[in-house]
Amino acid sequence: MAVRLLSKIKLLPELRGAAYVSSAAAPAELSDFEVQHKTPVIRKQKLIPVAQYGGRHAVTMLPGGGIGPECMGYVRDIFKYIGAPVDFELVDIDPNVDNDDDVQYAITTIKRNGVGLKGNIETKSEAAYVTSRNVALRNELDMYAYVLNCKSYPGVSTRHKDIDVVIIRQNTEGEYAMLEHESVRGVIESMKVVTASNSERVARFAFEFAKRNGRKKVTTVHKANIMKLSDGLFLETSRRLAEEYPEIEHNDMIIDNCCMQLVARPHQFDVMLMTNLYGSIVSNVVCGLLGGAGLLSGRNYGDHYAVFEPGTRNTGTAIAGKNIANPIAMINASVDMLEHLGHHFHADLIRRAVNKTINVDKVLTPDVGGTASSSEVVNNIMGNIGRC
Amino acid sequence: MAARIIRKIVPAGRAGTAQYSTGVRKVTLIPGHGIGPEITVAVQKIFEAAKVPIEWDEVDVTAVRGPDGKFGIPQRAIDSVNENKIGLKGPLMTPVGKGYRSLNLALRKEFDLYANVRPCKSLDGIKTLYDNVDVVTIRENTEGEYSGIEHEIVDGVVQSIKLITEEASKRVAQFAFQFARDNKRKKVTAVHKANIMRMSDGLFLRCCRDLATQYPDVKFEERYLDTVCLNMVQDPSKFDVLVMPNLYGDIMSDMCSGLVGGLGLTPSGNIGKNGALFESVHGTAPDIAGKDMANPTALLLSAIMMLRHLQLNEHADKVQNACYEVLREGKSLTGDLGGTGKCSEYTNAIISKLN
Repeated sequence: MAVRLLSKIKLLPELRGAAYVSSAAAPAELSDFEVQHKTPVIRKQKLIPVAQYGGRHAVTMLPGGGIGPECMGYVRDIFKYIGAPVDFELVDIDPNVDNDDDVQYAITTIKRNGVGLKGNIETKSEAAYVTSRNVALRNELDMYAYVLNCKSYPGVSTRHKDIDVVIIRQNTEGEYAMLEHESVRGVIESMKVVTASNSERVARFAFEFAKRNGRKKVTTVHKANIMKLSDGLFLETSRRLAEEYPEIEHNDMIIDNCCMQLVARPHQFDVMLMTNLYGSIVSNVVCGLLGGAGLLSGRNYGDHYAVFEPGTRNTGTAIAGKNIANPIAMINASVDMLEHLGHHFHADLIRRAVNKTINVDKVLTPDVGGTASSSEVVNNIMGNIGRC
Repeated sequence: MAARIIRKIVPAGRAGTAQYSTGVRKVTLIPGHGIGPEITVAVQKIFEAAKVPIEWDEVDVTAVRGPDGKFGIPQRAIDSVNENKIGLKGPLMTPVGKGYRSLNLALRKEFDLYANVRPCKSLDGIKTLYDNVDVVTIRENTEGEYSGIEHEIVDGVVQSIKLITEEASKRVAQFAFQFARDNKRKKVTAVHKANIMRMSDGLFLRCCRDLATQYPDVKFEERYLDTVCLNMVQDPSKFDVLVMPNLYGDIMSDMCSGLVGGLGLTPSGNIGKNGALFESVHGTAPDIAGKDMANPTALLLSAIMMLRHLQLNEHADKVQNACYEVLREGKSLTGDLGGTGKCSEYTNAIISKLN
């Protein structure tokens, strides 16, 4: 009778999930999958790139407009020269078409490959309902953090020397929410959206980054004296997270004071954390201090995808096709991508060659004060590979 | 009441209505807090020595409790401002706490100030990493990102509204082009981010483009905010007059003043429908208040801007040349400029150069 009672209890839906009703030993029948996912394990959030056949990776390539296509050509040349284990999947986005099919296809390939390399995509249409393609890409792939590592090159003559700043910028919301409407004729409202979850994610990213890379200070840049609720939320979140990382110093600064300090004394900054628009302003200011838009590369990070691009997201239409564009930014982006995928040997080869070209040989394009053409710079880099 | 009706009927000219027959202009003077009183005294002394035909009407804007319980500007100050229509203001400190409305905001509403003008010019004798900066930033002062309309829609999601209206954009664009023409500047650059904020900055840009057609003698160009930032720190000589909405203006004007040496050397003027207010934009510096260590240059340059606004150009040139020469010599500079002089010594040096 006890057995009959027990069997009836087992049939009750609530108890069906329970593994043990009696004190008898548990059946060792869990599959490997269940062991991995149902037993409590502290899982580290790590971006795991998808490896394909023979240890080669597939990477989506979005040349965009302006100087994008020619720079991508140089990247391909260098990769072919060193035999980097990366296959590019090229997706062209037509700037004149109004529909989103190209962009959707690009997003699908990045989801499949996990990693992308892109130039700046033009959105020629000025209609209000057409979202900027770059913004659509970032939002769809939820790449919430943008990291710009700004380190001075000694070979480029600038007013300030030895700058070493990392800018971490919230990449998906803020002023770039692109929610606008005309409430009354002649009056337009544009919404800036700040959420607690996104602020927390990017703040945690910043502090983790600082911790992992041995950085000492994080500065939050804001305008909370005027925009009390929105920037106030961002600031409060970063202050709260700062308490969890007592070994890292945290302070905050208002954006106008920050810009003033950047042009006068940029060495007081280490890691800077901010919302979307201020990130755009500060990254352009710092890139200007370092010699221009042609040198630095930026990394878009999300939980699952990463896309690498030239730091200041300029299209450079004015200098397209003239062989004077600076290819260094795109080459640096490709090096970042190789490091992200774990191909440190190849990444190192290219990085050392680039450093030698800029600092020792001083073969530079006109925008940073040199006289060489883009192809001369690239040839010099390829000549330096393996020899330094 | 009759006076108010008459004031409305008789249009207030650009130079203001409070003018004696002897040509002396009456100006509201707001000393401010901290180092405010010292630097205003310095400016008054210099103007007296230069025989500038200005009569100062000093008012105190310390907040008083009004009949509704809220703190606001005293009525005497408001009346003075309405009558004279021109003001010079030192640094103000808004006390932190409930019930205190920002004094700067209240003044702005009173005068209906819509454009903030900040000329940033490299000064001979003040060495910064940037030479030959000569940029004027004109910023829309009433709306944009600083409209103060914010809500928490859902727990953890905050929205802040940026308001752009055609009327305000047209007003500031008109002022910018007129300023360029009056001061013989060659180019006006509209700074915007219309690739992202298509409708709002798009409207601002359209208003600027419309007004550009009415001023064919002034060159007009439009640039993205990031490009301007990038180029400004590399080569500031590329820009002449910049016109932009509120937030970008705030950031750009502070960045440009950083290029020439900081807020202690930058003049600032606010132009409104109902008058104009010139001010120094630095802080009250309570740690050096009363010690004769303050630097009056920012307030002096703002006062010179005010003279030009009043069309008193010869007096303005005289005082300006004296000030520039003292800075060039570099002998009596105050502590913040790297010298050891006192405020009174610096003032006397300028007065001696006036002769």
